[in-house]
Amino acid sequence: MILRSFLKMDEAKAFVFEETREHTSAKLGMWLFILSELLLFGGMFILYSAYRYKNPLDFHHASRELEVLLGTFNTIILLTSSLSMAASISALQRGQRRLSMALLIVTMSLGLLFLVNKGFEWGTKIEHGIYPNSPTLLARAKGEILFYGLYYVMTGLHGLHVLVGICILCGMLIFIAKDKLNHTRFVPLENAGLYWHLVDIIWIFLYPLFYLIT
Amino acid sequence: MKTAKYRTYILVWVGLVILTGMTFSVAGRNLGGWTVLIALAIAGTKSGLVLNYFMHLRSEKLSIFRVIIPLVMAVFLVFILLTFADLAFRGGVK
Repeated sequence: MILRSFLKMDEAKAFVFEETREHTSAKLGMWLFILSELLLFGGMFILYSAYRYKNPLDFHHASRELEVLLGTFNTIILLTSSLSMAASISALQRGQRRLSMALLIVTMSLGLLFLVNKGFEWGTKIEHGIYPNSPTLLARAKGEILFYGLYYVMTGLHGLHVLVGICILCGMLIFIAKDKLNHTRFVPLENAGLYWHLVDIIWIFLYPLFYLIT
Repeated sequence: MKTAKYRTYILVWVGLVILTGMTFSVAGRNLGGWTVLIALAIAGTKSGLVLNYFMHLRSEKLSIFRVIIPLVMAVFLVFILLTFADLAFRGGVK
């Protein structure tokens, strides 16, 4: 029942709007930033691939200690947050202010849940004495030390990006509440969305490369 | 520019979840060297979905937006190829 009326609302309000030059240039600026971020993580992915190439067995060994189910769950969480993010922008463009804010809160909550899971993952590892430069880790095979170094740095940097993203979304939420963002002015929300999707894409690659090494 | 429909987003999300399931199941099987490539191919497809539908690249009118990502991917590919060209022959060319 609710689903049907939701979909009907969907059909009725797919409106068209004119894109201003300001809109386009703001979007382009964000894309350029995103590309720089891609190169940032890209460099680390190259490092990862070089070390994995040199230490395939060690990487496989170390990867098996990671909790695949938690990683998979986190992947689904971020994918869903991307859905709610995209829907939030759509809602604002159609003037559905409350829906937009609700979806933003969903996105932020999912991001927070992701970070909590990450915290548990790291916590378990640290409890077992595996953290950068720990004596337990240094006693292991060279490839495993490299794996964990990369694991902490890359998921850590990614987690930091998620945290920053949540803060940005919080700012957007306040702007919508104060009517500074609405159906006539929504580019900042779109750009925040682009950032959030970037964070999702980075995780889409981190997940198989760290958790699913066979 | 047209606002995307909610239904499109939900369909893309379903596709992404299915692809995640596929990555997960591929990892459990023993396919040797192919596993990495398949996993990366699936990850690439997922990114493609996010880029085109969630980030609206598909509905972008200006060509610069649609060129920019493939261009950076190409540059990145060159970085990777050069890195491995170095790594693979470190013991000298046989």
